[in-house]
Amino acid sequence: MTGSGPDRFPAGDDDEVGRSDDAGGAGFSASGGAGPGDPGNGGDYGGDGDDFGGDDNDDFGDDDEDEDEDYDGEAPATFRPIPGGAACFFEPAQAGVIRSLVTQVAELISDSATSGLGAGDPPAGAGPAAGSGPAAGLPGDDRLADDRLADDTLPGAGGGPGSGEGTGDSADELEMLLGLSTNAELPDDPVLARLLPDAYSDDPEASAEFRRYTEESLRSSKINSAHAVLASLPAGGGDVVLSEPECQQWLRALNDVRLALGVRLGITDEDEDLTENLSVTDPRSAYIWVYQWLAYLQDSLIESLS
Amino acid sequence: VSTAPAEMQQASTSEDARLDSPWITIVWNDPVNLMSYVTYVFQKVFGYPKVKAQKLMLDVHQKGRAVVSSGAREAMERDAEALHGYGLWATVSHDS
Repeated sequence: MTGSGPDRFPAGDDDEVGRSDDAGGAGFSASGGAGPGDPGNGGDYGGDGDDFGGDDNDDFGDDDEDEDEDYDGEAPATFRPIPGGAACFFEPAQAGVIRSLVTQVAELISDSATSGLGAGDPPAGAGPAAGSGPAAGLPGDDRLADDRLADDTLPGAGGGPGSGEGTGDSADELEMLLGLSTNAELPDDPVLARLLPDAYSDDPEASAEFRRYTEESLRSSKINSAHAVLASLPAGGGDVVLSEPECQQWLRALNDVRLALGVRLGITDEDEDLTENLSVTDPRSAYIWVYQWLAYLQDSLIESLS
Repeated sequence: VSTAPAEMQQASTSEDARLDSPWITIVWNDPVNLMSYVTYVFQKVFGYPKVKAQKLMLDVHQKGRAVVSSGAREAMERDAEALHGYGLWATVSHDS
């Protein structure tokens, strides 16, 4: 587990638990604006930030200005509590990033759901040219485009047990109607494996059985959460006002995106300061910046609900 | 599993669950989930008070895992399913 910013929960310091004021500000500094190496991305977050957030963000960044010289002043979007839910203002670029990532995760989850049926018939866009597809990641980052979240690789296409059984027959369709999955194996894609994990660490058979009965509804639930975010977040940004149930779906969807980014970025150490040794030309920098911003955003949403 | 014996008591939902051989739901530490989020999820899924949820969260964080509920196998699978829905890394085990 981690705090919402790298400085919040230093190793061994338990006294910090429960504090979420001033969370995360420092986390945006080292790659603030994503640096000159990423012109397609950095500028999107900067610039307009000064008037963002109104009086709800007065305390943001106060502690960080001196220590973070690269921090160029933009305030990340944060949720604020309102009666019956939470609200947040998103700049267009911020809305675009969230919509893109949430869409990619939803596509990854829903695409792979059919792998048992369509393993021999890859969808358009699969293959070597996939990096240029419409679901490509953040703008201005070609190098990571091939490695984006919506990896078109089909889990199960390699012919794992069960992946090719009864392809397309009516029994499969019935199982899908009943919400049973034809997938019994842990997905090959590490992001999917994290989002749809095994339920038994030491019993593959029990895991397969659990997956058969639960995976479809888990996928649906995650896809529904993603759609709830897309439905409530205008592509052009703006003030997003969420009911309590919508907050729940946002929390789950933001968490799924962070889990996916965490896998793709290779984040393994919760206490690591991701930005410490990060060059501004590192193609991961923009993603790490987004990853940390989403932690801050998610934390503000949790705080708004409690 | 000796990490959180106190938690195992409370989570048994019925007499039947106790009579059945005990099963447990374990939540494992991961580097991505926020501490505040994990605490929130424990409150939401199990109805635990915040203090208890925070203690469990800290167990996960510091010891690498914690037993968050115990009882009948079916109930533990439901718990694991709910926790997966929130993106927590949960598994079911026979408590032996």
